Parts: sequence; structure tokens; C-alpha cells
Amino acid sequence: MAVVNKKLQAKNVRNLRHIIQAAFFVLVAVTVTMEKLGEAGIKIPILPSGSLHAICPFGGVVSFWNLLNLGTLVKKVHESSVVLGVIGLFLAILFGPVICGWICPFGSFQEFIAKIGKKLFGKKYNNFIPKKIDRVLRYLRYLVFAWVSYMTVVSGKLIFEAYDPYFALFKFWTGEVALTGFIALGAVVVLSLFVERPFCKYACPYGAFLGITNLFRVFGIRRNAPTCISCNACNKACLMNIDVASAKVVRDHQCISCLECTSEVACPVPATVEVMSFAGQAKDSYAEKKASGK
Amino acid sequence: MKINAKSMALAIVATFVVGIGVSQIVGYWKMEGSKTPVAIKEGEFAGLPNPADIRGSYTWEDLGKAFKFDPAWAMTAFGVTDPASKLNTLETVYSKTLLPLGTEIGTGSVRYFVSLITGIPLEAEADNIFPITAIPVLREHSKADPALIDALEAKAFRPGQAAAPAAAPAPEAAGSSAPAATPKAEPAPVVAPAPTAPAASAPAAADVAHAPMVGAVTGKTSFKDLKDWGLDEAKIKSATDGKIGKDGDIVKDWASARGLTFSELKTKLQDLLAAAGK
Ligand code: SF4
Ligand code: SF4
Repeated sequence: MAVVNKKLQAKNVRNLRHIIQAAFFVLVAVTVTMEKLGEAGIKIPILPSGSLHAICPFGGVVSFWNLLNLGTLVKKVHESSVVLGVIGLFLAILFGPVICGWICPFGSFQEFIAKIGKKLFGKKYNNFIPKKIDRVLRYLRYLVFAWVSYMTVVSGKLIFEAYDPYFALFKFWTGEVALTGFIALGAVVVLSLFVERPFCKYACPYGAFLGITNLFRVFGIRRNAPTCISCNACNKACLMNIDVASAKVVRDHQCISCLECTSEVACPVPATVEVMSFAGQAKDSYAEKKASGK
Repeated sequence: MKINAKSMALAIVATFVVGIGVSQIVGYWKMEGSKTPVAIKEGEFAGLPNPADIRGSYTWEDLGKAFKFDPAWAMTAFGVTDPASKLNTLETVYSKTLLPLGTEIGTGSVRYFVSLITGIPLEAEADNIFPITAIPVLREHSKADPALIDALEAKAFRPGQAAAPAAAPAPEAAGSSAPAATPKAEPAPVVAPAPTAPAASAPAAADVAHAPMVGAVTGKTSFKDLKDWGLDEAKIKSATDGKIGKDGDIVKDWASARGLTFSELKTKLQDLLAAAGK
């Protein structure tokens, strides 16, 4: 009975995340489509309409320098992006990159392709790249972030648009996507058949930016070592191949706060992998030390 | 303190709703750019809207309102029928595959069109051309020099037939005051001929075509060029509010990254160069 309950609970939590992901995916697709239809004179009043840049928080992030120093936004970026950028940062400081794990439609798209990859390769899926190489590649996205930020500040334009697979995905039918964007999208689709969220892991500049908050986020993923049975279920569940099973608190810059590793989903032991605030973590480790007589 | 998935989901959605709601209440939430171009800050055109700030998201109606002319002129010129459509749809209508290599009919062409109609100067990109339908409109309503319109006609795009090659020189342009009509692969300094902006003050087209012309500030001029032409750092800074880019930085890119209007900065630099004897 307990096993059935546990499975149901895991399914509910997964569904909850997937519903939110799907809702944001649809919201973005509708907003962008309505904008394009609006240009052709077709308007449906109740549906939202706006450019992809207007609803992309990363536009707000790269505009920040311009906004502080010059009081202007980067071309094509609007105030709404700044608001979303601030919301994303606020949430990340609290919970880590939840935008990646719960909201970003491109992350959801990659997870969707991953379902096919898992069917094709089973347990081998997401384990093709040797750990050593993978570790180094994970820092590539910081280079992308630095390059995009620098070029955007220098040029005052959204320089990443031409290479952005996210832009290509939602605008492929508009004639606005550069060839480089299509190539990037094609590469992500193919790689997603082998690796979970390849763009997030290796190339996304916004993911890189948000990932830094994992080092100091208020609510972190904590593993309670005394109750852990070392079954590695958390490691197997982690989309980002993070070694949760040997961490006390997950501080990995790649965590996307998807909660797949937690005791509510993958971990079979209750209250073993949980989301806990700093204060809770500190209290907890004090109690642990006391119990072990150190 | 522990939180579970449900509370986290709730917190995420609530933060979005509250964040967007509050920004809407305080009037900060905007998903579109303002439809009013920035005004030129200095010089004889001070206070007038700057054609360089026309965005692809403007509709033809917005354009007419902002620059106070009948939008039907622009729509006829570019072969558009819906006044509520956006300028950036031109790039789709005049797909690059139809146009001569290295040319474009898009928002840049509209900016140039507005500059010619209103007589407000603009740093136009030479690869922006017009459809042939724009020529009669320009002849009737613009303040441009007829020789310039002739030159624009020579390289205008004629639907249904091969357009004039982008690099074909317009015979009338040589020696005229029409640098914008001079086909070249890089931006040409353009002053839309207006009654107040005597055409003779613009560099000769033939010179510009073989750019870079010493002392002529264009979209390709770097800070090093300015120094080579005799402006020291202090003089350059006097035109750029006390700041200066690196030697290799292109002045135009540097200015636009800082929200400065290049056409105004260019005028100041050009005056400084003139005073320095260049
Ligand atoms: S890393 Fe980038 S693409 Fe991936 S979910 Fe986060 S924002 Fe989206
Ligand atoms: S550590 Fe846990 S929350 Fe973080 S990405 Fe991996 S499974 Fe998701």
C-alpha cells in the first residue's frame, strides 16, 4: 500500500511540473503566434499577443547593463522582459533555477524529445558522454553567456537571436529565423535524442546566469545522510546527471530545481532528499553532529 | 524550513502573477516599444522626431502620426494596403531572394523614405533600396534633390523583372549631392536634401563611393580615424559627453550602444573636424 501511495505521489509531483511546463509552453506559443497573426490583421481579443523578445527574461538580463548605465533597453527588448528577468532572479535566489526546471519552454521541449531518446536507448540514455569530458563541457555555457553579454552591451542589439534555437523553435514559420538558428535547433533536437537537455547543459546563457544562484540559493536540495540507503535512485533520476547521492546539499551549478531527485519523487526513503532553507540545513547538521557525538 | 513541490509550484505561479500584476499597476509593464521616435536633441533639427529611431514594430499609421504626413504616401511607395500592418513585414514581402545581392527593402528603406519626405537628416545604409513604386511618391512629396531621386530610381527594385544590379553606378549621382544614391557596400553618410540642409554641404558622391574619405565621419569611422584626422581625446570627449571608446571601436556602434544618436554625434564631430581644418 505504501509503495502504491509513494508511486502515486511521485506521479502527482511529476504531473504538476509537467502541467506548469505545458501551460507556459502553450502561453508562449499562443503569444508569439497571435503577434504574427496580428500583423496579418487577424486579432482574437482574449488571447495574449507579443513578441518572443517581450516575454523572454534573458532579454531583461542582458539589458540590465544598458538600463543602469544609459537608461535605455537593448533594441527589441521591452520593459516586460526586465520584469520577467527580475522575477526569474528573485525565484532563483529563493529556489535556484526553477525557471529552467518548471517554466522555460525550450527546456520542456528538450525533455519532450528526451522521451523518444529514452525509448530508443533505455538506461544508456543520458550516459553517453564520458564524465571527464562532460564536466569540462558544462562550463561552455559560461563562455556563451560572457560572449552574448559582451556583444549585446557593445552593439546594443540582441546578438544571440541569430543563433538561438529557442527563437528558431517558436518562429520557424515566420521567415525571421537565420540559417544559424535552424542549425542550432537541429543540433539540439538530434543531441536531445542522446543527452537530456543538451542546450541547457552546454550552451544556454540564461541557464548559466541562473545556475550561479545554486551556490547561494535560500532553499536548497538537501540529502539527509543518516537515512540515505545509498540506492542511487536520486542520481538516476537527475536530468542534469548531478551526484545527489554523495552530496549533503546540492550546490552544483547545473541543478534546475526540477525536484525529480527528492523523496517526493525518486528517493524511496521519506524525508531523505528534501528542499530546505539554509536555516533548516544548519539546524539539521547541528542535530546530526550532536547525535553522532562530535 | 522545508517546502514541498506543491508549495514551490504555488510560489512560482504566485510570483509571476504578483510580479506582472504589480508592474502593470505601476505602469511599467510594456510588451511593445513606444511608437514615438526619440527627438533629435541638438542642431537645426532639434525637437523633431528622428527617422533613425523608426522601429520595425511601427505600423504605417504610427509612422504617419509620428512624422505628420499621410501614411498613404508610404503605403503606396512600398506597395502595402493595410495601414495596421507593421513595417517589419516588408522584409518578408520583399524577400531577399528576389532582390539584388547585398540589397534590402525593409525598415531601413522606410527610415530613408521618411527622411527624404520630411527633410530630416539620416545616416542611411546604402544597401537599403526602394521599390520602383516609391519613386513617383518621392518626386511628388519629398524635399529631395531630383538628381538624388533619379539615382534612387536607377537602383530601385522593379517587381517582375530583374532589378538593376546593386553595384551599378547611377550616372546622375556622380558629382551630384546625392551620396545616398551612390551604390556601395557600406553605409554612406547621408543628409536628406532639405531646404535647411543645403545639398552642397554633403560630400561628393564620387568621393564617398571610394571611401573612406579623410575627414568624413561615416558609419564605418573608428575613434582611431578621428585621432588620425587630428582630433585629440579631449576634443572627441567634448562631443561625446566626456566618454570615449577604444581606438578600434566604430563610433556609430559605440554611440548606439550608449543610446546616443549617431547623426547628432556625427554633426558635432564633423564640426570639430572642420574647425581643425579637415
Ligand atoms: S538552461 Fe536555458 S534552455 Fe534550459 S531550461 Fe534553463 S533557460 Fe531554458
Ligand atoms: S539535483 Fe535534483 S533538483 Fe537538481 S536537477 Fe538534479 S534532480 Fe533536479
